[in-house]
Amino acid sequence: MATITRILAKDVSAFWPRAFFSTSNAVFTSSREAPLKDPSAVIAKPEEVEQKKKLSGVITVPTKVDISPITGVPEEHVKTRRVRIYMPAKNAMQSGTNNLNYWKIDFDNRERWENPLMGWCSTGDPLSNMQVEFNSKDEAIDFCEKNGWRWFVESLPAPKKEKPKSYGINFSFNKRTRVSTK
Amino acid sequence: MFRVPLAKAISLGSPKRVANIAVRASASAASTPAKAPERIEVFVDDIPVQVLPGTTVLQAAAMVGVEIPRFCYHERLAVAGNCRMCLVEVEKSPKPVAACAMPVMKGWRIKTNSDLTKKAREGVMEFLLMNHPLDCPICDQGGECDLQDQAMAFGSDRSRFTDINFTGKRAVEDKDIGPLVKTIMTRCIHCTRCIRFASEIAGVDDLGTTGRGNDMQVGTYVEKLFLTELSGNVIDLCPVGALTNKPYSFVARPWEIRKIDSIDVMDAIGSNIIVSTRTGEVLRILPRENEEVNEEWLADKGRFACDGLKRQRLIAPMLRTPSGELQAVEWESTLIAVAKAVRKAPKGSVVAIAGSMADVEAMVATKDLLNRIGSEIVCTEQSLPTQGSGSDLRSNYLLNSSIQALEEADVVLLVGTNPRYEAPLLNTRLRKSYVHNELELALIGPKVDLSYKYQHLGDGAELINQISTGTHPFAQKLKNAKKPAIILGSEMLARPDGAGILATLQSFANKISKPEWNAFNVLHQNASQVGALDVGYRPGVETALKAQPKVVFLLGADAGIVTREKLPKDCFVVYIGHHGDAGATIADAVLPGAAYTEKQATYVNTEGRSQQTLCAVNPPGLAREDWKIIRALSEVVGEPLPYDTLDELRERVEDIAPHLVQHGKLETNSFATLAEQLAKDKKIDNSKITVRQQTLKDYFMTDPISRASPTMAKCIAAVKKQEAKAH
Repeated sequence: MATITRILAKDVSAFWPRAFFSTSNAVFTSSREAPLKDPSAVIAKPEEVEQKKKLSGVITVPTKVDISPITGVPEEHVKTRRVRIYMPAKNAMQSGTNNLNYWKIDFDNRERWENPLMGWCSTGDPLSNMQVEFNSKDEAIDFCEKNGWRWFVESLPAPKKEKPKSYGINFSFNKRTRVSTK
Repeated sequence: MFRVPLAKAISLGSPKRVANIAVRASASAASTPAKAPERIEVFVDDIPVQVLPGTTVLQAAAMVGVEIPRFCYHERLAVAGNCRMCLVEVEKSPKPVAACAMPVMKGWRIKTNSDLTKKAREGVMEFLLMNHPLDCPICDQGGECDLQDQAMAFGSDRSRFTDINFTGKRAVEDKDIGPLVKTIMTRCIHCTRCIRFASEIAGVDDLGTTGRGNDMQVGTYVEKLFLTELSGNVIDLCPVGALTNKPYSFVARPWEIRKIDSIDVMDAIGSNIIVSTRTGEVLRILPRENEEVNEEWLADKGRFACDGLKRQRLIAPMLRTPSGELQAVEWESTLIAVAKAVRKAPKGSVVAIAGSMADVEAMVATKDLLNRIGSEIVCTEQSLPTQGSGSDLRSNYLLNSSIQALEEADVVLLVGTNPRYEAPLLNTRLRKSYVHNELELALIGPKVDLSYKYQHLGDGAELINQISTGTHPFAQKLKNAKKPAIILGSEMLARPDGAGILATLQSFANKISKPEWNAFNVLHQNASQVGALDVGYRPGVETALKAQPKVVFLLGADAGIVTREKLPKDCFVVYIGHHGDAGATIADAVLPGAAYTEKQATYVNTEGRSQQTLCAVNPPGLAREDWKIIRALSEVVGEPLPYDTLDELRERVEDIAPHLVQHGKLETNSFATLAEQLAKDKKIDNSKITVRQQTLKDYFMTDPISRASPTMAKCIAAVKKQEAKAH
């Protein structure tokens, strides 16, 4: 008898529409009924509960993963490559700086040649065109380690000193900053 | 409004702040470190920011990451305030203010994105575009043009310019200002950046404007060339395509090229550069910002000599045939021939000489190989006195004050150097200090044009003694200075009395040095020199020549100091380098190496900062990276070197000198007093002091790359033509 009820209850909970279930649930709570429990959870073995709990959240793996064996990247492009992690410099030809301030990775340069057919640039290096941007240095380092590349970080140049600029010094009578040509 | 002097403008505020300013002014007069002035708060787009008094609206906005569009403003040039693109709205101000010239006041609310601001920008843009040709498709600036970018943001999609059939658009005749800078003056928007650069940074008052309003023109007044060692920088500064790179014109678009960060090796400053390449070819070189080294400038040799990388290259290993010709052969037979010669040579008769562009890795590998086969003699071409502590103490051969700190110097003595051509970017620092810090300079050496005024003490070497004993009036100035500096040219060290000059100046510099400030500086000309001395190379070729060598390795030694006549008849000369220059012509075996754009290698600049170049293109033909050649040779010789990769080699370099792999960092050194104690010989001849690079035409060709460059040849021709003219 017990087994029958159990099966019945399970089927009912799975079959009934959720909307109906929730309204009835609300009705029950308002009338101080005991809350409905999922029978399968109630009768589950402790190890099953543990397993379910583990699967419900985010799985954290304590060690660093090397995904290079399963990425399909040829071994040659994992072991022999050296990655430079850096912040792109401002283009000297332009004054805008809005597209900077991110970290980038670059692989060691391999041979490039002019394609005799069209005159385009050819390369045998699949990684040379990979453009990945990172918000921080550490993200870039993690990415390289995950992929099994050797990396080095280019140090950032020293920050600029804050120095107020003045229009007035162009006209100072006793300083060398006085502007002659205009 | 904008002509109100700073003090007056600020005195509108609270009396407390005025007092603060007054204190600052007196402090700067006495040049003692002033107390940090009180910061004032302003709001940029409702973001609060604390700024120093006197900061402009544009700078305040930059601090919170708000970029105000600009054409004429440049942070390293004087404020001009003439393009009006930076107009922004300030709350309670009756009209928009020019952000680049207007100092902020306490509590200002700056609106960089309001309707008024946008309308102002759109209006300015419409006026600019009215007289700007629509030739972006054929303009070299296209793709990296400030006007193009900002027209995308603020330009109107239709034109109100209807006068096209009557008066037409403004057209201006192009100027010929030299072989490096191409001008298309119709595109000029009169931002005057080039003019300000020429007169402030380069110190050449050649450029200026004539006419007013619509008839204003930027030019040189009379027909002449804009020839300075820094002329290429006006190309970068020009926000439109009015000034473009002549050798690079119509070559490539910015989106086609790959950019690789690197280091310039044409002088010992180690300017940071970006190498632009396409299909394995270096197209152009641009400066990269580094406050501590080159700010954001680049000297012309570093920028334009890159076409020398395609000419006169050694692309295959070569052996000299019995008839005396160099014949291209396979790597294998060359390495075997060299290894045979090395093996046959008795112990201690194999020497190596490093030239001006040898990198640290190659030098370390060479030294390791030579040490393994029982030779200790590894030298550099440029000499340095070895009496006393010689190259054992770093402070003997470095620019100890550091390039950036030289800006703060207040009295500088130059001895036997012409920094304008030996290190143009150090000269800009000195000039900057001359303009902004009232720097006082004196020179012992030939009277040259340094682009600023200085006291010429004379060209006799005895003056050095007079300075050091204090009998010369200028010595007193150095003693009284807060941050004095003595800059000694590297050519002085090659003189027979170099040891005396070094010791005398060093002991005098120690007397005037302050805590945390070493006044003694050596200015090198070779990019390799400091690195070579750091890894234990002996300066000067004398020891190598005296050893009666049987095998000589020339690591890019092209200065012509080692000649066939100076070597024994049966000596086997091996040249490892990238250009067919003086070294390769005397070689019995030529091993083609990589130029600085073709290898990841370490160079140490004159202040002792180690920096690395990166591989932008591959070495041409059969050429290989220098250290790999040495590594391969070591295998054939039978003494294999214990490193196979660059990382392993760098570990070896780290064992020798850890600072060499700390790229970008400056290692301080402090043995100046010790060096003085060790120095014995202080004798100085009473001969004339002279320097090699005195005028601009001496500047352009100094190394194998620039000697192979047709652009540099054109520059020399242009300078000569200019000299022949009357004005």
